Amino acid sequence: MTDTTAPIQSKQIGKYHVEVIRDKCIGAASCAAIAPKVFEMDEENIARVISQDGEDDDTKLLAAQSCPTAAIVVTDTTTGKQVWPPEV
Amino acid sequence: MIPPKRAKAKLTNKLVLNEKYVLFDFEMTEPHLLEFQAGQYVSIQVSPRGDRRPYSICNAPSINHKFELLVDMEPMGLGVSYLDQLAFGQEVDILAPMGVFTLSDKADEQALVFVATGSGAAPFRSMLLELLQNQHDTREMILYVGLRHEHYMFWQDEFTELVEAFPNFHFHPVISKASDQWPLCKGRVTDCVSLHQQPENAGYYLCGSQSMIEQVATMLAQKGVPATHVHHEKFF
Repeated sequence: MTDTTAPIQSKQIGKYHVEVIRDKCIGAASCAAIAPKVFEMDEENIARVISQDGEDDDTKLLAAQSCPTAAIVVTDTTTGKQVWPPEV
Repeated sequence: MIPPKRAKAKLTNKLVLNEKYVLFDFEMTEPHLLEFQAGQYVSIQVSPRGDRRPYSICNAPSINHKFELLVDMEPMGLGVSYLDQLAFGQEVDILAPMGVFTLSDKADEQALVFVATGSGAAPFRSMLLELLQNQHDTREMILYVGLRHEHYMFWQDEFTELVEAFPNFHFHPVISKASDQWPLCKGRVTDCVSLHQQPENAGYYLCGSQSMIEQVATMLAQKGVPATHVHHEKFF
């Protein structure tokens, strides 16, 4: 039986964790256009993450791949490995 | 603004404009139409692992079954190498329309000054064709295009025809390493923009090298042009 009194846990859709490298971001806003529930532009027109859960993994990865300066790092939380940009 | 979507297009033409610049022509295949605003770009997947590169669309938005890209072939990086080896009919995976470098509200800007270096002229061709030919916009419009050599010139005939057809449009090619025979503006495009008397309450659109954008933006700020009237594309 489900415990309806238990606190609501935040859940992550998929396994990818995204992070913006502020120094690399030029404010092109491609990430916010592709994944608007994950990225937004702040008051300095630099991208920031507003949620890890707003979009699926493919969309988060696409947003990172579309960044012209590779300012978004995608990590697979199940393996700890960096998915994007590919490590050489 | 229309949110970007994944789409496919095939290469239909490749026009070598000179030793440095090539015009690529893509026909939309899936879906068959691309709605976009003048100044926006497409993000093309240029490697199997997913790398993408942005390219400004240089045709008018009224032509929505295809898109044209002006590409500087000199820095033979990942994107240029990919485009260079594309075969006619080969499909590319794109994300489009992308970008917010579009024209501002008309009421705020009583004239328009476009400043480009190199392939930074691409979005301005789209904007000018849209404004002049489709919207019949009568505001004064001035285009500056900075290039290193005369033989790097492109679209000179097309822009000259626009000058002849639309008295409100003016075109200034600026050559930084010009020969003695070059009769027009020489030196940095920034100096040319600075020396010319610019129209009142103009909106300035900058696209090209980062140094040009910084120099022109600084010069305009010193002349008292409000920052809200200075727009630039960020990915060049």
